[in-house]
Amino acid sequence: MTPPGSGPLPSADEPLDDVDFGLLDDIRDLFQDADPMPADLPERIRFRLALRDLEVEVARLAEEEQLAVAARGTEQSRTITFDSESLTIMIRIDANEDGTARVDGWLAPPQRREIEMKTVADPLTTASDEQGRFAFARVPRGTAQLIVRPTVIGPGAAGRSVVTPALIL
Amino acid sequence: MNDHRPATVRASQRGRGARMASLLAAAREGSEDALGQIVSEVSPLLWQVARAAGLSSGDAEDVLQTTWMRLVAHLGDIHDSTALTGWLVTTAKREAWRVRAEERRQLPADQDSFAELPDQGPGSEEQVIMDDQRRTLWEAIGQLSARCQELLRIIAFTSRPDYAAVAAALGMPVGSIGPTRGRCLAKLRVLLAGQPGGLR
Repeated sequence: MTPPGSGPLPSADEPLDDVDFGLLDDIRDLFQDADPMPADLPERIRFRLALRDLEVEVARLAEEEQLAVAARGTEQSRTITFDSESLTIMIRIDANEDGTARVDGWLAPPQRREIEMKTVADPLTTASDEQGRFAFARVPRGTAQLIVRPTVIGPGAAGRSVVTPALIL
Repeated sequence: MNDHRPATVRASQRGRGARMASLLAAAREGSEDALGQIVSEVSPLLWQVARAAGLSSGDAEDVLQTTWMRLVAHLGDIHDSTALTGWLVTTAKREAWRVRAEERRQLPADQDSFAELPDQGPGSEEQVIMDDQRRTLWEAIGQLSARCQELLRIIAFTSRPDYAAVAAALGMPVGSIGPTRGRCLAKLRVLLAGQPGGLR
């Protein structure tokens, strides 16, 4: 519809033309710059999808803190807390000199559990002690994810596995 | 900007349609790799869907995670790649609404926490350095209704073979021979035509 006397105006009912396609490309560029998706998000989604068949409780990121460590110059350590229905998992990540990361963890309430760390290389496994403490001395940098499983033997072996969202070491 | 797009671009868009169809077929057969490639391909669009709904970055990530988990549960029901994109956009949009509604419910009535949320429009994000033409376009988009801004932002991230499906998922009218320009793009062109240095 062209209102009389105002020259040809683009109508809403016409098919998209090259000017429209050009505009849409420009709009895409604008939002791509103003609000890009985090580049590692697809990788983290794939990571989570790969775990989908496990009977698990998924922990949520509750808190993340950067702590400057004066003794190590520029190195920083991070603490991250994850909450799930049954468990709180706190981890502290420190840099090793060889470029890997050291991860110290605590479970609350304290309990023995099998702990697996999925990494960009092979998964690592350890167990928490009665105080709920566990540690991975050397973890490759990159995407990682913790899975806290029930202990296979002993009393209190019941309970579901808990997985954290993927994190970047 | 607004230059004539070469025919090869259109051809590559058709090629993408075929590639997505074969990825979907492989994912339905259980290929994690094919599923991963679909995730990489469509997530940037879903990100805009979640952010255009006014979610924070963290909530937008949760919405994407949920959307892809739902897709895996429903892969068996989705038979062609065009339906796939429409399904993903619809699911992400509903999930974004749900998260938004939940947040509003949890806010104390007297607290104005929306300051943290991104604007519907581009107005607050002008730290991006823009040349005049980009600024003109940015400002014209800012004059559109919130609904039009959301719509154009999402359609701009949609591959051409999927326009009709995504337009339908967003409640836009689709013409009998394909997507029409629609009210929002027509309005944008009128705004730009009135700008010096605007639309040619």
